[in-house]
Amino acid sequence: MQHTQEKWGRPRDDVYGPYDASYLNSEPRTQTLQPTVTGTSVIGMKFNNGVVIAADNLASYGSLRRFIDQERLIKVGSETVVGVGGDVSDLQTIEEIMEGLEISESYDEPAQSLTAPNIHSYLQRIMYKRRSKLDPLWNALVIGGFKNDEPYLAFIDLLGTTYTAPAVASGFGSYLAIPILRKLVDREGDQQNVSKEQAVDAIKEAMKVLFYRDGRALDKYSLAILSKKDGKPDVEILKDVRVENQNWSMAKQIKGFGTQDE
Amino acid sequence: MTSIGTGYDLSNSVFSPDGRVFQVEYAGKAVENGSTSIGIRCKDGIVLAVEKITVSKLLKLGANKRIQTVDKHVGVVYSGMNPDGRHIVTRSREEARHWRDQFREQMPIPTLAANVASYVQLYTVYNSVRPFGVNTIIGGVDDEGSHLYMIDPSGKSWGYRGAASGRGRQTVNNELEKLDFDKLTAAEAVKEAARILYVAHEDNKDKDFELEISWVTEANGRVHEFVPESLLAEAKIYAEEQLDADVEG
Amino acid sequence: MSRFNPYGDSSGGSSLAIAGADFAILAGDTRHSTGFSIDSRDQSQIADLGDGLFLTSNGFSADAKQLVDDLRTQIKWYHHNNNDHKLSISAAARTTMMLLYGKRFFPYYVNPIMIGMADDGTGAVYSFDPLGSYDREPSRAAGHASELLMPFLDNQVTFANQLDPQTGEPRKRLDLDLQTAVDLVKDAFTGAAERQVQVGDTLEIVILTKDGVDRQYYDLRRD
Repeated sequence: MQHTQEKWGRPRDDVYGPYDASYLNSEPRTQTLQPTVTGTSVIGMKFNNGVVIAADNLASYGSLRRFIDQERLIKVGSETVVGVGGDVSDLQTIEEIMEGLEISESYDEPAQSLTAPNIHSYLQRIMYKRRSKLDPLWNALVIGGFKNDEPYLAFIDLLGTTYTAPAVASGFGSYLAIPILRKLVDREGDQQNVSKEQAVDAIKEAMKVLFYRDGRALDKYSLAILSKKDGKPDVEILKDVRVENQNWSMAKQIKGFGTQDE
Repeated sequence: MTSIGTGYDLSNSVFSPDGRVFQVEYAGKAVENGSTSIGIRCKDGIVLAVEKITVSKLLKLGANKRIQTVDKHVGVVYSGMNPDGRHIVTRSREEARHWRDQFREQMPIPTLAANVASYVQLYTVYNSVRPFGVNTIIGGVDDEGSHLYMIDPSGKSWGYRGAASGRGRQTVNNELEKLDFDKLTAAEAVKEAARILYVAHEDNKDKDFELEISWVTEANGRVHEFVPESLLAEAKIYAEEQLDADVEG
Repeated sequence: MSRFNPYGDSSGGSSLAIAGADFAILAGDTRHSTGFSIDSRDQSQIADLGDGLFLTSNGFSADAKQLVDDLRTQIKWYHHNNNDHKLSISAAARTTMMLLYGKRFFPYYVNPIMIGMADDGTGAVYSFDPLGSYDREPSRAAGHASELLMPFLDNQVTFANQLDPQTGEPRKRLDLDLQTAVDLVKDAFTGAAERQVQVGDTLEIVILTKDGVDRQYYDLRRD
């Protein structure tokens, strides 16, 4: 006989064992614990008249090349591009948030034009807010555009950390691309001496190195070139750009793993 | 209106013995005296236009827009009580945003018009509220093509090739009926809209007015926006020329 | 499965403040780094709060940014509510403590330092721990090189635990003159940049006197 009321009607301990309450004391529930389908690095640099940003078209599922035509550069407003690395479903969330922002801004009369600093600030607040709810958007963002006609380039990560620099990169790009880009733009102001062609070449070179060395990279990517023409923004997004002049002859020299004759 | 004063005009939720809801009809009166607005559904898109009477010289030119954007692909213009119109716009925006959040697609314009009409209709069946004093013209382009709807204070929503509302509607309708909507391009429709509003304004000549014209076309990427300044200027010149020709001829 | 860690190791390098009899100095390098990677060489970490107040917050830089935004909001409302009355540094310091302690159970991972001119005209340095403990001090260093900078300041500014060779008495803290203080700051950072990889690029110094604000920049090691 069980003598206390709270035990009445419950399974008998001597038959079913004591109640397992451990789930009540387990870890609090959190949201995204890890990204699933992911994009790799995004890179960007300034030049004398604008900004170049690139991100490849691969969405990986772990080490699986899951989707090979994922667009990761988002044009926001008329003169800003946001490059997104990290979780692709969160990328889509950001895409929707940006579209909602654009629509809300178009309500205003006269319509305000969203600038890169506006979008940078807005996205930083979203990323920081989500990390503070322990429900982060698992992304690294590169924002390129203009601030008072000058090139503007900024970075935000999933914690809401942010900074601006003349060359930025996420993921492997921060190790492999940054040294290449900083040869041209090391400190703020260096971009004055860099032409659009030089910047595009440097970005293409960096994308090549990334494809060689980053196992989650693809040799097909999108390239956004933002420049000012007569004070007006000109945004050109080149799609399906290929890594050119690949040279894999050194692959034969690599020994020590796999099935090899010697 | 012979039944005025018989007590059946005080409440929304009461029919008169001859089957009318007077509050709704009175709302229609508010519209009849409102500024003239036009919608044209042409070959490659839609055009919205409104005659904005300058009620005071103190008002800033180009401010207080009467045509508004609901979603990227949809615009709205209305005749009647402006504050009611703005409320309808706010409601329309909520509808369109809700659809986007739910389905990740742009809202089909027939659905938007139907939902907004349902909302308007609700304000005709409760005695605690009054109907909206506006005729709302909703126009846009979606995957199914271009659409133009006009919703009246009763909540009636009909699709149109050309729609007119407000003070000059009779004149405008006469002019609209002459257009060949299957052949008309949006750029031509902009000019015609300007011309027609100028014609309609002849009956109200003592007052100055501003012209607002917007469009959604396939060519501009299905985005609702005001027509370029240059096109608006061109349309005004065309309208004045045609008007002069009519007077002389 | 590991839990999401809301804190990161992104930060500005180091910062340092010295209070004088009629001046206050706040200095910081402009390097922003994550781990061993240099994110930016030109990210100023000194926030101008208005009312002659300047703040650095070393630690997790996303939290630092949020703290600055919070403080700016507080100061804006203080002005709205009090006819644009200037916020004193003692009140600003108290406000900072309120903001920090307000997040006692999800703290801002930062070590803020604030400078300004006190009501009596002396230079003031206030420093805080992440939970809001705070105090007015003659000098303070924070950030990656705080362990290198702070002992140097103790030795050169406060003369801590030093005996006067003439009298054998504990050496009294002197009021530094401005130039000596600025030179100390430069030496301190040159030294810190030598040994701490997260410190370098450019040294930004804000000098506060009764006459206003002066900003100076000096090159540091960039490797």
